[in-house]
Amino acid sequence: MLNFILRRLAIAIPTILVIILFSFLLMHSAPGGPFTAERKLPPEVLANIEKKYGLDKPLYQQIGVYVKNVVTDFDFGPSFKYKNLTVNEIIASGFPVTIVYGLWAFLFATLIGVSLGVFAALKHNTWLDYLATSTAIIGSVLPNFVMAPLLVLLFTVYLNWLPGGGWQGGQWQFIIMPVIALATSYLASIARITRSSMLEVLNSNFIRTAKSKGLPTQYIILHHALKPAMLPVLTSLGLSFVGMVTGSVIIDQYFSTGGIGQHFVNAALNRDYSVIMGVTILVGTLTIVFNLLVEILYAWIDPRIRY
Amino acid sequence: MYVDNKKVQDLADNLSDSNEIEGRSLWQDARHRFFKNKAALVSLITLSLIVLFALVGPQFSPWDYEEIDWDAMGDIQTMGAPSFSSGHYFGTDDLGRDLYSRVIQGTQISLMVGLIGSFIAVVVGTLYGAVAGYLGGRIDSAMMRTVDILMAIPFMFVLILLMVMFGRSIYMIFIGIGLLSWLEMSRIIRGQTLSLKNKEFIEAAIATGVKPFTIVTRHIVPNVLGIVVVYATLLVPGMIMTESFISFLGLGVQEPQTSWGALINEGARTIQNGTLWQLLFPLFFFITTLLSFFFIGDGLRDALDPKDR
Repeated sequence: MLNFILRRLAIAIPTILVIILFSFLLMHSAPGGPFTAERKLPPEVLANIEKKYGLDKPLYQQIGVYVKNVVTDFDFGPSFKYKNLTVNEIIASGFPVTIVYGLWAFLFATLIGVSLGVFAALKHNTWLDYLATSTAIIGSVLPNFVMAPLLVLLFTVYLNWLPGGGWQGGQWQFIIMPVIALATSYLASIARITRSSMLEVLNSNFIRTAKSKGLPTQYIILHHALKPAMLPVLTSLGLSFVGMVTGSVIIDQYFSTGGIGQHFVNAALNRDYSVIMGVTILVGTLTIVFNLLVEILYAWIDPRIRY
Repeated sequence: MYVDNKKVQDLADNLSDSNEIEGRSLWQDARHRFFKNKAALVSLITLSLIVLFALVGPQFSPWDYEEIDWDAMGDIQTMGAPSFSSGHYFGTDDLGRDLYSRVIQGTQISLMVGLIGSFIAVVVGTLYGAVAGYLGGRIDSAMMRTVDILMAIPFMFVLILLMVMFGRSIYMIFIGIGLLSWLEMSRIIRGQTLSLKNKEFIEAAIATGVKPFTIVTRHIVPNVLGIVVVYATLLVPGMIMTESFISFLGLGVQEPQTSWGALINEGARTIQNGTLWQLLFPLFFFITTLLSFFFIGDGLRDALDPKDR
């Protein structure tokens, strides 16, 4: 098992380096530097500024300096737009917000999705099954940018129960709508996958043996059926995580929560290279770490997978 | 005569008639199964109606999609509401432009992005996956490892970056979305190729001296076409959603052209003014089209699934 984890790590690290390299090259191939969009600067001033930020060195040197800074002390450099802030400060202001509602959305989607799927599979072809399936179908066409306005329409404009946006330190009134908007479509897909995978497992021979031995149904589900049924769900969990991170961009825009997504879009529109690179690397690394965890869980559940 | 000639003749005719039962090919079986699936059938009809609407709809509207109705512009809440008399069947948007024409325009753009984007993804993904699966060994590992690395990059960010860097032309959207979605398809195709590779007809082709690339294109690709069609149908709603996502952020098609995402964005911004039709009409088309594609894809998958045969 440890061997497996080490091998996965050995592959993950070059992937992160590739992401850093890739975002760096992508940024530098864009027409126009970070300072050319502003009002016309005299060439000496432009040269001075570029020298200060190290933009005049040859490309490979810039890459080297950047990678060294990132890897040794997580320093993503200064922001090119907001001259008195570093990228770390900008990310630090947005990251807690995104993490809070991201985690809540993930927990909400996973727990409710899995339970819904399991119960639907158990009570196959009853009203619960049809409810779960229709929820799954409806949820799959309600992505976050559709749910967000609908929720605001219902809860803020008509019922006036919840505030329409903002964060204010993360009280529950501000968290609840972003979480529901973000989680709904993933809840639907997780429920669907759990249901079909659970149905398959419940029809297999070893479950039939357990039932014929006279084991109580609850015991069978918890001790025998749940683990193998979780395998396809795990793969989709990895995808859901990536989806929720990218979806947070919309949530930030619509609910003005001030998370990383908002900073990213602003940076993209302002051509603030260092912030763009910093956020991309951060999100890419998070994705890789998460996928690593999913693969480890995979190998723990099914020992045959440890290649 | 020992036997009645006519009776024998009739019997002989019946026998030869009953021997002429027409066989049903596998495609006909699949089509029969597909049409039995009511949800898929309804979705197919709905989708054709929407496409018809997108093609023929402009004929019925007195307004253009970018023309501003100066009468309605001062007071959108009352003058901009849907009505037959003013010619604004769906009402107007916040600037006074006819929503009916804009929804048609949005439908055209969104459907085009969905179909062309998934076409690109299908072509690139199928070729890449089939080649990787067929060649196997180290080339296969290298190709698939590249796909894994590319999949780890949060592609929404790259898409936004591409849009910002190279301008917001519609071709950029096609290329961007298509090029970033072939990864999943290539994995699926590679799996299928691996299972096809060991079949005897491939062995026969190799023995007759067919070149590898020809084997891939002439034997493997047609056999994975069933799965490709199913996943392509399921890719289209994903494409439409991606495009709507970036339009919602304001980075999609440029004004005055529009798409469902941009319309939903504009409609979502004005709900507090009470102009709900601006949100609900594009939302209706968006949801209906996506649901139709899902049901058709599911129906195709059930119809073509080898496990059911």
